Amino acid sequence: GFYGAVNPVGGEAVPGSGSHPGASPARGLSEGKVAAPMASPHAGNAPPGVDPEAFSWFQTVDTDHSGFISVKELKQALVNNNWSSFNDETCLLMINMFDKTRSGRIDVYGFSALLRFIQQWRSLFQQYDRDQSGSISFSELQQAFSQMGYNLSPQFSQLLLARYSQRSPSPSIQLDRFIHICMQLQSLTDAFREKDTALQGSARLSYEDFLTMVVTRML
Amino acid sequence: PVFVCLLFPRVDKDRSGIISDNELQQALSNGTWTPFNPATVRSILGMFDRENKGGVNFNEFTGVWKYITDWQNVFRTYDRDNSGMIDKNELKQALTGFGYRLSDQFYDILIRKFDRQGKGQVAFDDFIQCCVVLQRLTDVFRRYDTDMDGWIQVSYEQYLSMVFSIV
Repeated sequence: GFYGAVNPVGGEAVPGSGSHPGASPARGLSEGKVAAPMASPHAGNAPPGVDPEAFSWFQTVDTDHSGFISVKELKQALVNNNWSSFNDETCLLMINMFDKTRSGRIDVYGFSALLRFIQQWRSLFQQYDRDQSGSISFSELQQAFSQMGYNLSPQFSQLLLARYSQRSPSPSIQLDRFIHICMQLQSLTDAFREKDTALQGSARLSYEDFLTMVVTRML
Repeated sequence: PVFVCLLFPRVDKDRSGIISDNELQQALSNGTWTPFNPATVRSILGMFDRENKGGVNFNEFTGVWKYITDWQNVFRTYDRDNSGMIDKNELKQALTGFGYRLSDQFYDILIRKFDRQGKGQVAFDDFIQCCVVLQRLTDVFRRYDTDMDGWIQVSYEQYLSMVFSIV
């Protein structure tokens, strides 16, 4: 063939999604409400343009006082409604979004923007979680997609649920994975639209087209 | 191998019996002073974590270690000038050696995307991530390209499913 064979190093392929977070409840931002900032001697010294509350949180979350928030620190700060920590994939994705230096960590400005971003997603999530169960079920997911303007089949929602849901009690999606799904969906849809110029819902893609579409927009 | 028994407890810093993303990241070096690419760490753990527990146990870790060692050997093979980084030409040789046939422009895209050091070259951790991603995308494309002509006709949802299966 004219395109790739195999990498010389094979890994065991594990089908399915990323990891489930550990069971330990993380102390941190509880769902929905804005947590009261911890008393901090520096609370009054927020950098210009940074909300003092966000600054206070930043200092709490920056446990090694490096002046930056790493994936690990972010993971300890963000929780789902079931008290599970945000998973690594979503934390990574968000750090990458707000990290301008590609260093794998964010400064106070990035963190401040990240907090606003998460707050927006939490609000949306609460809206779509109609029965207020704390997670999004199959039907709630379908409604969410529809309201966001996506025209997706139930089979596709089922596919996502299977891949991203927690196992019990019933398949449903926590906030971290919901954010991940929606961000990917947005990015991929934009990429596809560029190719499907006739808006037929179908596109002809070459191997490199496909690689480029995904690689350049990979979050 | 015996040394993995000695290695595991050193990497498993919190003695939980599971090596997490953070612990593995701390144990690995990319040849620079920057932390090992967390995306690469996640990719690797995702491959070997059979129970979706967010890390690997001792048995799974032996697989992880072999995997990383194998990649080190590959990296050294193609880092012809021994610079500790793989430049565009070396990357071309590596990927062509693996069987890929890609345009020159695409190599620019790859380096732009995967090079986190900003030097126009790829360090060890970024090289692994680049290869892993390329492999996954190629595998999924092949499944749809049944006549193997390098083109696929896909619906929007098929396309979404293709990519969601690997991100």
